[in-house]
Amino acid sequence: MTAMLKRCCLIFAVCGTLRAQETIAPTPEAVGIARGGDFANYNIVDSFELGYRWRATGGSVDTYRSDVNYGDGIRLLATNLSINSKEGHGRWFDEIVLSTSGLGNDPYQTASLRIQKNGLYRYDMLWREDDYYNPCLVISGGEHLMDTVRGLQNHSLTLFPESHFQVELGYSRNTDNGPALSTVQGFDTFSSAFPVFENVKQQWNEYSVGILADWAGLRFIARHTWDFYKDDSNYSLTGAETSGVATDPTVLTSFQRSEPNHGSNPGWFGNVYGSHKYWALNARLTYNLGTGGFALNEVTTGLNSIGAAENRQVVVSGDAQRPVVAGDFSFSVFPTSRLSIVNNTAVHDTRIDGDSSFTEFDNGTGTSTTLNFKFLGVRTVANSTDLNYRFNNWFSAYAGFTDSDRQIRFLEAFSFPSVAGSAVSDLYQQTSHLNAGSFGVRFRPLRPLSINLEGEVGHADHPLAPMSDRNYHTLGGRIQYRARKLQLSTGYRELDNENAPLSFTTYSSRSRQYNAAASFALRDWLTFDASYSKLHLDTVGGLAFFAGIQSPQLQTSYDSIYISNIHAANAGVRFGIGRRADLYAGYTITKDTGDGRSSAVPVGVTDPIAALLDSVQTFPLTYQSPMARLSIRITPKLRWNAGWQFYGYGELFHLLGENQNFHANTGYTSVLWSF
Amino acid sequence: MILSMRGLSLAVMAAGAAAQNPVTSGTGGYVGSNACKTCHADVWLNFYKNPHFKSVASGDLPPSRTGCESCHGPGEAHVAAHGGKATIPNAFSLMPQAKALEACLTCHARDFQKANIRRSEHTLADVACTSCHSIHHSPTPKFLLAKKQTELCYGCHAGIRAQFEMPSKHRVNEGFMECSDCHNPHGAFAPTWRMSDHPRMVDQALNNEEPCLKCHVDKRGPFVYEHPPVRVEGCEICHFPHGSTNERLLRRPVVFTLCLGCHNGGASGTRNNGVPLQTSPHNLLDPRFQRCTACHVRIHGSNADETFLR
Repeated sequence: MTAMLKRCCLIFAVCGTLRAQETIAPTPEAVGIARGGDFANYNIVDSFELGYRWRATGGSVDTYRSDVNYGDGIRLLATNLSINSKEGHGRWFDEIVLSTSGLGNDPYQTASLRIQKNGLYRYDMLWREDDYYNPCLVISGGEHLMDTVRGLQNHSLTLFPESHFQVELGYSRNTDNGPALSTVQGFDTFSSAFPVFENVKQQWNEYSVGILADWAGLRFIARHTWDFYKDDSNYSLTGAETSGVATDPTVLTSFQRSEPNHGSNPGWFGNVYGSHKYWALNARLTYNLGTGGFALNEVTTGLNSIGAAENRQVVVSGDAQRPVVAGDFSFSVFPTSRLSIVNNTAVHDTRIDGDSSFTEFDNGTGTSTTLNFKFLGVRTVANSTDLNYRFNNWFSAYAGFTDSDRQIRFLEAFSFPSVAGSAVSDLYQQTSHLNAGSFGVRFRPLRPLSINLEGEVGHADHPLAPMSDRNYHTLGGRIQYRARKLQLSTGYRELDNENAPLSFTTYSSRSRQYNAAASFALRDWLTFDASYSKLHLDTVGGLAFFAGIQSPQLQTSYDSIYISNIHAANAGVRFGIGRRADLYAGYTITKDTGDGRSSAVPVGVTDPIAALLDSVQTFPLTYQSPMARLSIRITPKLRWNAGWQFYGYGELFHLLGENQNFHANTGYTSVLWSF
Repeated sequence: MILSMRGLSLAVMAAGAAAQNPVTSGTGGYVGSNACKTCHADVWLNFYKNPHFKSVASGDLPPSRTGCESCHGPGEAHVAAHGGKATIPNAFSLMPQAKALEACLTCHARDFQKANIRRSEHTLADVACTSCHSIHHSPTPKFLLAKKQTELCYGCHAGIRAQFEMPSKHRVNEGFMECSDCHNPHGAFAPTWRMSDHPRMVDQALNNEEPCLKCHVDKRGPFVYEHPPVRVEGCEICHFPHGSTNERLLRRPVVFTLCLGCHNGGASGTRNNGVPLQTSPHNLLDPRFQRCTACHVRIHGSNADETFLR
C-alpha cells in the first residue's frame, strides 16, 4: 500500500509540474509529503515562503511599472495553512484553509480564508490589493498619472450549509485611493488641457442577506443587497501653471475642484430551480434601483486661450437613477438519456435618467444656467433553444438557435431657464433584431482523443455601433489528446463580421486564432510544456473626420485600417535533479509583426493626414520574458529557492512619438519552510 | 490459490468492516465506506480533507448518499468480485463524459453555481466534471480541481493563455485574479449586454451586471450621462477583456482610432441618430485631438457633462 501511495503522490507531483510559466515566486515545489502533523483531533499542514525581491530596469520605468511593477524588498511570498478535523466533528470548526501571496508590498497581494464546521456554518474571505500604475498620456507638458491602490475584499457566511434551509450573509468592499487621471479644460474646451493629479478617494460597500430553501423538489433563493458608493475626490492647484503649448497662452493661476458623488444600488435577487429525471427548470429575477446624488464645484482663475483674464466657477448638482429589471427562465427536458433540450428566455430592461443643473459664473458679469437631462433606455428580450444529442459514446452533436430583440431609446433635453422657449429635446430610437444559429459535433474515437467542431452564423438588422455584430459567422475546431503523461491539443477559430450600419460608414473585421499546445512528462524528473498561438486581426472602416493644416475640413476619403498579427509562444522545461533540486527554465514571447512594414509611414506618403492614419494602422512590438528558477531541498522541511526573470518590451514604431520601450531584470531568493 | 486466498481475506475483511457500520450496510447492495477503505486506504487516508467527507461525518444520510457509494454506487458486487473496475457501478474512469456529468448532478444539481450547466458551452463541448476536477487527488485546497485553476483553463484555451502573457493584461498569471472571477465554468445566466446571446460563460456580478464592474465599481454609475456602449454592448466593445498589446486593454493602440469607429463624421448638427459627431475644431492633425480621453476623461459616464469632459 505504501508503494501505491508513493506512486500516486509521484504521479500527481509530476502532473503538478505541467504548468504554464508564471511570474517567478512563489515556489510551486512542495517540501516532502504534505502530511502535516496531528494535534488533538486535527491535522495541520503549514508552509511559509519568505524571500527578497529585486529589480533592475532600463528604458521607460513608467511602462515597466504599468506592465510588471515588481519592486525591491522583503516579501512573504506565499503561505498555506490547512487544519482539518479528522472525524468531521470538530468543536468549533472542521476545516480552516488559509493561503496568502505577495504580502509585504508586492504589487499584487492576496489572502483567502475558509473556515467551516460541517452542517453549521461556512465562512469565506478573499482579500486582494492591487497597486495599479498607469503612466497614461503625455500631454500639455506633463503626465496624467494613475497610481492608485485598489483594495478588494469579500466576506460570505453561510449558516446550515448542507441543510434544506440556509441563511447567507455577505459583505464586500472595494476602495481606490491615490493619484488618478483627471483634467481641466481651462476656460473653454479648445484650450490645451492641464494635467491634474487628482487624488481619488473612492469607496464601495455592499451588504447582502439571503435565504435558500428547498421545497417540493425545488430550490428557492432570495437575496437582498444594499451597496453604497462614494467618491470624495478633490483637488487644489498649488502655483500657476501654463499650458505648455507655445500657441496657447492659457494660464491657470488658481484652480480648485471638489466633486462628491454618493450613490446606492439596493437590489433584489430571486431564483428558483430544480432538476428531475426528465426535466429541469431555472428561473431568475433581479431588480436593482441605482441612485446617485452628486455635486461639483470648480473655481478657476487665470488667462484664457486668447490671453484674456478669466474668473470662472462651475457648479453642477443633481441626481441620477437607473432601475434595472432582468429575468431569465430556462426549461430543460430530457426525453431520453441521449437528448437534452434547453429553452431559455431572458428579459432585460434598463432605464437611466436623472437631471443635472449646470451653472457657470463667468467673471462675475453674467450667469448662465443650463438644465440638462438625458434618458437612456435599453430593453432586450431574447430566446434561445439548444439541442444536445449523443448518438453513441463517441459521437454527439448539438445545435442552437437564438432570437433576440432589443430596443434602445435616447432622450436628450436641455434648456436655458433665463431664455423663454429655449427647451430642446431630441428623441432617438432604434430597434435591432438578431437571429443566430449555432451547431457543433464532437467525436471521441479513442478515450483520450476528442475532436470538436463548431460554428455559428448570425444577423442583426440594426446594431448600435460599427464594431457590433451584424452579419457574422464563426467557425472553430479543437483536437485534443489527453493521456496521463502526454497532452496535445490544437485549435482554430475564426470570426468574420460585416457591418453596414444605417448611420455610419461600413466596417468589417476578420479574426483568426490558431493554437497548439503540448505537455509531456518524459520522466518523473523531466517535463516539457509548450504552446504557440497566432492571433490575427484585420479591420477596415470608413472615416469622416475634421483635419487640416490651416483649418480643419471634413475629410471623407480615408479609411480606418488596423492589422495585427500576434505570434505568442511559451515553453518550459523542468528538471528534477535527484531528490535534491528542481530547476525550471521557461520563455515566453509575444510578437506582433503588424502588417509587415518596416516604417510607421510608408515611403512616399507625403499627405500629413494619410501619414497620421498610416502610422496607427499597425503596432509591431515584441514582449519577451525568459526565466529560470531553482529550488533546492535542504532538509525534508526546508527549501532554498532562487529565481530570475527578464522582461523586454520593444515597440518598433513609437506611436505618437512616445518611446515606451523598457527592459528589466527581476529576481528573488527565498526560503520555504513547511510542516 | 494465493489470489483466491487474498480475495477471500479481502472479502472477509470487507464484510467485517461493513458489519461495523450499521448505518450504511446491508441495503440495496451498499456495504459502507469502511469496506472500501480496506483496499483503498490510499484514497481513504486523506478523505477527511475532502468536501465529500461531510456525507460520512453527518452520519444520518442514507447509504446511497454516504461516502464512497454515494458517487460510485453500491459496492457489494465489487467486493464480491474481489475488485475490478468493471464491477463498480459508477467507475468514472470508464464512464462517458455525459454520464459522469449526470452522476455528479445527482447531488450538485442543487448547487446554485451549476444551475445553468445544461446550457453551458462546456456541456455542449462534452467537457464534464471529471475533465477539471480530481475527486481523490486534488492538489488545490478548494473545489477539488485537478490542477491550479489557470492551468486547467489554459489546457484547452491556449489562445487565452497567450493573451494573459501580453504586456497589458489582467493579473491572472500573477495570482491576483482567477478565471472564475469573471467566468462561471458551469454556465451562466444570459448576459444582459449586447443582444443577450453571447458569451454564455461570463458570470454576472452585483446581481445582474458585467463582472468587470465588480472591481471597477467607479465605472458602474448610475450617471446622468452614460456612455451608451458601456450599457448596451458591454465593456468589450472598446476593451479586450483578457490581455492586449495595447495599453489599458484597448482594441486599438491609439485611442482616436477607436473613438472614430462610432463618432464618425461631422455635420451641421451634432447628432447622428443619437451618437454625437465631431465638431469642426477637432482637428485630428493637432496632437491635442489625437488623445480623446485626455479631455473626455469621464468616458465611462459623467454627471456633469454630456460629452464626459468633467
